[in-house]
Amino acid sequence: MKFFNNGMKIPCGEIHIVKDRCKGCGFCVTYCPMDVLEMSKEFNAKGYHFPEVKNIENCICCGLCEMLCPDFVIWSVVKEEKEVVEALG
Amino acid sequence: MEKKNEKSHPVDFLLSEDATPSVWCPGCGIGTVVNTFVETLEKVNADLDRVCVSSGVGCTGKVADYLKLNCCNEAHGNAIKCAVKFKLQKPETNVVVFMNDADFIASGADDFIEAGKKGVELLVIYINNFIYVISENKTFTTTPFTRILVDKDSELLELPFNIPHLAKLCGAQYVARWTPLHVRRLMYSITDALKKPGFSVIEVISPCLIYYATEDKIGETIDRMRFYHDNSVIKHGEPTENLDIRHQDKIIMGRFVDI
Repeated sequence: MKFFNNGMKIPCGEIHIVKDRCKGCGFCVTYCPMDVLEMSKEFNAKGYHFPEVKNIENCICCGLCEMLCPDFVIWSVVKEEKEVVEALG
Repeated sequence: MEKKNEKSHPVDFLLSEDATPSVWCPGCGIGTVVNTFVETLEKVNADLDRVCVSSGVGCTGKVADYLKLNCCNEAHGNAIKCAVKFKLQKPETNVVVFMNDADFIASGADDFIEAGKKGVELLVIYINNFIYVISENKTFTTTPFTRILVDKDSELLELPFNIPHLAKLCGAQYVARWTPLHVRRLMYSITDALKKPGFSVIEVISPCLIYYATEDKIGETIDRMRFYHDNSVIKHGEPTENLDIRHQDKIIMGRFVDI
């Protein structure tokens, strides 16, 4: 199944995380459709693990992490739109 | 109201200072529902001076404290009563009521029926976690007939109360049921229900992580939420008589009444 066709424009996201608000529920990491995030090994000020950006180039800025987060920790912003040259298989 | 800047969350201008950290446990669904509601308000460009939020007791009662909108917090089942008064005073406002099962079906049921029969324009977001949380795991009219309950002394032999059917009988114009993980569908439901000129009810089935069915091996935090999400079937327009939640059956989600 092709996700993207040639000539389509994909938004490139930039992810912001306020790590001291996080309570470590893991919704964003589990439900990210493009597998962008991972849980960090460090602790924040409250003693929870917080999400970290693993591979930012996959992010298509769908906003699911922003909507799922119960503590208003994470949000994504559209940085640029890049055109698909070679369609993914 | 001030809008956002670059370095803060897009909906931070709607939250009060004590909204983070909230009292809700990590993995609870109430925070997700509040986030979805706030994002919906931002997305539909609602006039924020004309939105009022009312909430009651328990974990869900803290919603009114955390939002920087016109909020009122009324204890012991008076959330709908307060909302109806607000609506009668200012008929142009959108009034949203956040309720849990304790202050909805236990002590506020008469107000609910009254408001539904009169057709007051309210949106009731009813967060169902099957148990009294703050008074420590008492079983309840919405508790499903489960094998192991936390409260082992009480033998529960009743079927849980069918809330969407009650809402339809009261004359609601819009009835839907989702889990917090159906975020987009929940968002579209809230958007639709805010436009309805009558009484509308959205039931959200959210897990209680600490008190409800901790020995049933459903799992913790994200596993518990995923359990409800995976054990649900979406059937739009299902007759509301069939919407009982039974043990070992799939939970039926969807939009049941839309007039």
